[in-house]
Amino acid sequence: MPTIRQSDLDAYLDEALPPEEMARIEQALRADKELARTLAGVVARRDAGVHSLGAVWRRHRLSCPTRDQLGSYLLDALDEEESAYIDFHVEQVGCRLCRANLLDLENRRREADTTTQARRRRYFQSSAGHLRGEG
Amino acid sequence: MPGTTESDRLLIDRVRAGEEGAWRALIDRFEGRLAAYVSSRLGDRSAAEDVVQETFIGFLTSLPNYDRRRPLESYLFSIAAHKLTDRLRREGRRPALPLSAVGASDASQWEPVGPARRASSIARSGERCRLEDGALASALRKQIDHYRNSGQWKKLQCVELLFVRGRANKEVAEQLGLGEQAVANYKFDFLAKLRAAVRGQKLPEEVFPELYEE
Repeated sequence: MPTIRQSDLDAYLDEALPPEEMARIEQALRADKELARTLAGVVARRDAGVHSLGAVWRRHRLSCPTRDQLGSYLLDALDEEESAYIDFHVEQVGCRLCRANLLDLENRRREADTTTQARRRRYFQSSAGHLRGEG
Repeated sequence: MPGTTESDRLLIDRVRAGEEGAWRALIDRFEGRLAAYVSSRLGDRSAAEDVVQETFIGFLTSLPNYDRRRPLESYLFSIAAHKLTDRLRREGRRPALPLSAVGASDASQWEPVGPARRASSIARSGERCRLEDGALASALRKQIDHYRNSGQWKKLQCVELLFVRGRANKEVAEQLGLGEQAVANYKFDFLAKLRAAVRGQKLPEEVFPELYEE
């Protein structure tokens, strides 16, 4: 089983790792006190204002493709190198947000309209009461 | 890199004006990707829909403080991450952590500040942290864009595995089919450029320890 590094814990705090890695860390944290102490150290450094390259990179999504690029990727309309980079970013780096975008783009092409519309109506009805004009 | 589109800006302006049609359009545009993000961690579909619902309500609550220069999609994902973390903690899946550690600067926008937040210290250091964060992001962006625009995809992959995934030189070399020396050279060059950018802005070195580790 791969070692859990500080960078993994940093990404764990941001809910940014692939789900299987998040689950693995959650499980390990319950059993391993030393790992929990390491996590507390990562938290303390953040609270002290120390910046990690990975956290800044992720937060600003510096290497994430745009939604349009992801759409072109699904349509196989990108050049080979760009497409290979997106494979890498999604599969090997495991970018959760790009994975979510890809899944959504795929679902939009597949999903029956009725299911989607009903879900959106529910979100609208439950939240529209919080809507207020600022002018 | 996903940014705020003109269409997002116009939509937010209309939502700010209280236009229901705009709010409906915003939900239509973003709910699918938020649901996909949340569902990957919550097997239960209805639990995932609850979290997305809380995300949209959190967005409206925070709207008066929303900085429209901030990419809308990233902002919504950050609210969703916070709501998801809360949910997992309530379910006992995520060990409890001090609240200040989990996206404190973001959470302050859509959650009331509790006594445990040490609000005054966070507020005092917030502006300085944002400046440092922005400076480092700008230096990183410049270098990443350079790799991308000049077709140096291998270098980009190399530094992404090193710094985003925290892989060791040897692992990166194996994963990308590079020599260890090449990985070390890319890393050295990348860090040197970031250090120069950070020094140019007269920012304290101690808050960027990775730039000075060798």
